[in-house]
Amino acid sequence: MSVQRSFYKDRIYPLIFMLITTVVCILLTSGLHLYTLDRAQANELSFTRRAILEAADLPFTNTTEGIERAYHEQITEMDGYYTASGSFGTRYIIPLEGPGLWGTISIMVGLGEDLQTFSGVAIVSQNETPGLGARIEEKWFTAQFKGKRAPFIMVEEGTASASQEVDAITGATRTSEYFKNLTARVPAEAQRIIRGE
Amino acid sequence: MAKSKLRKTFLEPLGKNNPVFVQILGICSTLAVTNKVQNTVVMTLGVTFTTALSAWTISLMRNHIPSRIRMMVETMVIAAFVIIVDIVLKAYYPEMWKQLGPYVGLIITNCIIMGRVEAFALNNKPLPSLVDGFASGLGYTYVLLSIAVVRELLGSGSIWGIRILGSWWTNWSIMIMPPGGFFVLAIIIWVIRETIMKEESHA
Repeated sequence: MSVQRSFYKDRIYPLIFMLITTVVCILLTSGLHLYTLDRAQANELSFTRRAILEAADLPFTNTTEGIERAYHEQITEMDGYYTASGSFGTRYIIPLEGPGLWGTISIMVGLGEDLQTFSGVAIVSQNETPGLGARIEEKWFTAQFKGKRAPFIMVEEGTASASQEVDAITGATRTSEYFKNLTARVPAEAQRIIRGE
Repeated sequence: MAKSKLRKTFLEPLGKNNPVFVQILGICSTLAVTNKVQNTVVMTLGVTFTTALSAWTISLMRNHIPSRIRMMVETMVIAAFVIIVDIVLKAYYPEMWKQLGPYVGLIITNCIIMGRVEAFALNNKPLPSLVDGFASGLGYTYVLLSIAVVRELLGSGSIWGIRILGSWWTNWSIMIMPPGGFFVLAIIIWVIRETIMKEESHA
């Protein structure tokens, strides 16, 4: 009798207890996950669309609704890329991914009709060092590529003058290099994605 | 009587039993997130929330948890709360969630949470455990915020992303990188121990 009791207490009870705890925790978290899933996906989509608008250098209000409206009015989704038409002619926006210092950097690049001149660059996702490499998300950095052609030359922060030069980020030399390499692939990638060559 | 005990439970983690500068716990996150005030605020809110609620939950369960598997149960409860923080941030504060990236998930490994659960919640009633967890979170919060203000100000010339120092200021990149965290944390621990804590121990 006492042997059975301790067998239950030592082996079975902990097992049942852990099982119940696990089930309760999983139910709670997965319930919350499913409840917020639509919202999370909408956010994700909104981030991508904002990046497309930024890369195309189009005006929009920075709210979920504002991004949606501007996107539906101005962007056409093509096979693997996006286009925007207006008084400026046609702009092509292509997604591009490449290695960063810690993880993958994923960007949207907007190009003019020549598929060479950048209309803008926007970061979709990155995992660079916060405060250093992550500064590639800052407006002053991405705005530098507007109206220029790849390949670029990275120079010391605050000294870019020639048409191919862009300011690198102080303290994030490696990230800047990776970003330069990523943008250098743009013309070839654009030909491949858009012209199918 | 009960009230004064609760008061003591609340005040201890803020001062002489502070998780960061006395117990030296939670240092990895202290070094990692304090290069920007904004990230620090979200991180500390997440930790405070998790510490308080896990302590409360474990305390509710304390008489039923088999002692052999208590750490597994604790980890499970803590992980559940951290995932809740992550999901809520992802759905309602996506910008913040994007900035913090993997740090939110790493709240699970913050030793303060496990520490308070093991040292306090297992042997105390739910309300004092909640207070202790919450106060430990606050003790963590104010130390991290002071570090973050120094690091962001010297490293980026700004606070909360708003430029404070003029263009004459040259950013100290080292403040943004992990070594900056070590330096500022060490200086803060030194100052506090040499001034406030010293007086207390003499008294």
